Amino acid sequence: MPDPRLERLADVVVDYSAAVKAGDLVVLEATPLAAPLVRETYRRILAAGGHPEVRMAVDGVAEALLDEGNEAQLGWVSPARVEQIERADVRIVFESEYNTRSLSDADPAKQAIVQRARKRLGDRLFERYASGELRWLVTLWPTQAAAQEAGMSLAEYEDFVFRAGFLDRDDPAGAWRDFGERLDGLAEWLGKTRELRVVAEDTDLRLGVEGRTWVASSGRENFPDGEIFTGPVETSVEGEIAFSFPAAFGGRVIEGVRLRFEGGEVVEASAKRGGEFLDEMLALDEGARRVGEFAFGLNESITEFTLNTLFDEKIGGTAHLALGKSYPETGGLNTSALHWDLVTDLRTGSEVFADGELVYRDGRFLDRP
Amino acid sequence: MIDPRVERLGDLVANYSLELKEGQVFRIDGYAIAEPLALALYRSALRAGALPYMNLTLDGLSEILVAEGSDEQISYLSPVQWAEIEELDALVTIWAETNTKSFTRSDEEKHGALISAQRKLSNRRWERIAKEEMRWCGTLHPTHAHAQDAAMSLGDYEAFFYSACHTDKDDPASHWQEVSHVLQARAETLAAVRELRIVGPDTDLRVGVAGRAWIAADGRYNMPDGEVFTSPVETETEGEIRYTFPAIFQGREVEDVRLRFEGGSVVAAESSRGQAYLRRLLDLDAGARILGEVAFGLNYEIDRFTRNILLDEKIGGTMHLALGAGFQQAGGSNSSALHWDMICDLRAEGEVYADGELIWKAGEFLEAAPVAVAGVGA
Repeated sequence: MPDPRLERLADVVVDYSAAVKAGDLVVLEATPLAAPLVRETYRRILAAGGHPEVRMAVDGVAEALLDEGNEAQLGWVSPARVEQIERADVRIVFESEYNTRSLSDADPAKQAIVQRARKRLGDRLFERYASGELRWLVTLWPTQAAAQEAGMSLAEYEDFVFRAGFLDRDDPAGAWRDFGERLDGLAEWLGKTRELRVVAEDTDLRLGVEGRTWVASSGRENFPDGEIFTGPVETSVEGEIAFSFPAAFGGRVIEGVRLRFEGGEVVEASAKRGGEFLDEMLALDEGARRVGEFAFGLNESITEFTLNTLFDEKIGGTAHLALGKSYPETGGLNTSALHWDLVTDLRTGSEVFADGELVYRDGRFLDRP
Repeated sequence: MIDPRVERLGDLVANYSLELKEGQVFRIDGYAIAEPLALALYRSALRAGALPYMNLTLDGLSEILVAEGSDEQISYLSPVQWAEIEELDALVTIWAETNTKSFTRSDEEKHGALISAQRKLSNRRWERIAKEEMRWCGTLHPTHAHAQDAAMSLGDYEAFFYSACHTDKDDPASHWQEVSHVLQARAETLAAVRELRIVGPDTDLRVGVAGRAWIAADGRYNMPDGEVFTSPVETETEGEIRYTFPAIFQGREVEDVRLRFEGGSVVAAESSRGQAYLRRLLDLDAGARILGEVAFGLNYEIDRFTRNILLDEKIGGTMHLALGAGFQQAGGSNSSALHWDMICDLRAEGEVYADGELIWKAGEFLEAAPVAVAGVGA
């Protein structure tokens, strides 16, 4: 018998997150490791009246491209990707990796070419998303590789993943609606703030957020979810931040990242491990040195760090800052081929001030509306 | 480690069959289970300077669509797929089933609706191939399902399949170049023939081929390959034929098919199993009773029937005569929604006469066609 949590996940994804309607062209991407979820989701899309189109990703393609590809090949984007983004109504991605570290030895310069080529595509995706023509959703299907990355058995990891999505509850969609309302309230309240100051170990950072919109993420684009985010004023960021969690990006892990900002720009960057890759990413383009997103993780069903941004950035009691592209719906104006979320733990010894007033301590807002 | 036979097959299809060139957009179609070959093709294409990308899907989805989809959903064609076809310079289809009988209990009408909707896409593809705007090759990745159909273990089936492609040896491309010379020579010799007479057990059939072009199938469109074929004159097939191998169409089998032709058309059809299906296919449309193809199977590494048309129609020493659509490039004019390859084993007692002269006996041509370069005997 299939895990009932699988059916609940397919249900929530199709009916709540992506809200598939009759006639929608729904592009579904996954690896064969997520086959049971793909088949179940395919069924639900049909039941909702949609047209599912499945594209399976297999292991080794990215590696082969980075291995063998010349500049023209690295910088090329397939017509399938272009047309999907142009014509699909919904795009659903099931992360389901075979090996989270397979690109560890890839040449960062080559990765940067791939990254830049996909930027235009990403811009178009966000454009259609912002205008409401396209919905997209990223979620994860637990695999051994992801469990290994998290330092768990597959069974333990499944529990972790499904708990984070409230799929251990009877009415996950209802739970997400309730949680979403709470996040909306918090976002509205933060919207009145002009400047945030984040103080923690090796961290004292000021971010201007005046006039920017805080957006509540409640399981529509990411699943699981649970954060509020904005795009800080591009020239406003000042001070230092140390990220207590390692950062997984582009198939590799960078540890102990510290950044110093002046006038909104990174002027000093170091890492205990992976410094070369950090430098490469910062040099990607002009926008890569600026902050595109600042956010609070608020999902208290996620307590553990698992080296996967989809989960880590939502851990209740954390904050994350993304270098690079900002989301237009926040009012953020920064553009870049990069969007790299770096997460830091605020659950102990931290304080956040809004326009000088203490509003957050040790991982929680003090005066929640 | 990657199976070197798979790696060679990827190379062969990318470089020999499709002749991929720098900058060509190349799509790899198949099920995810074909991953090893798909990756080998991807790498070979990158080395050739082409722009490859994957278009892999998951087994079992079309079955769900037929079982649970509405008529509108079953007939839906994605605008993404339509747009992609126009952009391709080359396409490979990797056949790799996980279950060759998964549609057996599906609603026939709904399954038929899915097939005819998909045909609109493949028709556009064939149009572009015919205009030489794009190249296509169909090949296979061995799976347990295909091995099971052949009543073989997967290991034995792989050995059988890769030997048919000659990728069990170094440099399969030069083998196929030789095959190409031999088949071209055979096709030229056959072009002078006006009438073929096929004689075998319960078989005495005359097929008019005057003025038709014979085509050498030398590994460009299929891998493995190895046949010469033409489309017979539509009104000139006379006599009887008995197909010793089961005739399979869309996964359904008809056994021991016997056909009688008069004036080019089937006038009597019998079988020992699947008679209703045989009748339905013959009545599909006006062209379904007329031969669209006559061909000699000449790949002698393929020495057994395995219930897969890609391989069966090339069994060395067989002929196949297909009911339905003919080939324009061969001069054929028969049109039909059907193209049903039926295979006749002539290895034991068969004889073929060309304008009265015996040219083929017990599964082999009596004389090698004159070839410019030294080649294999076909």
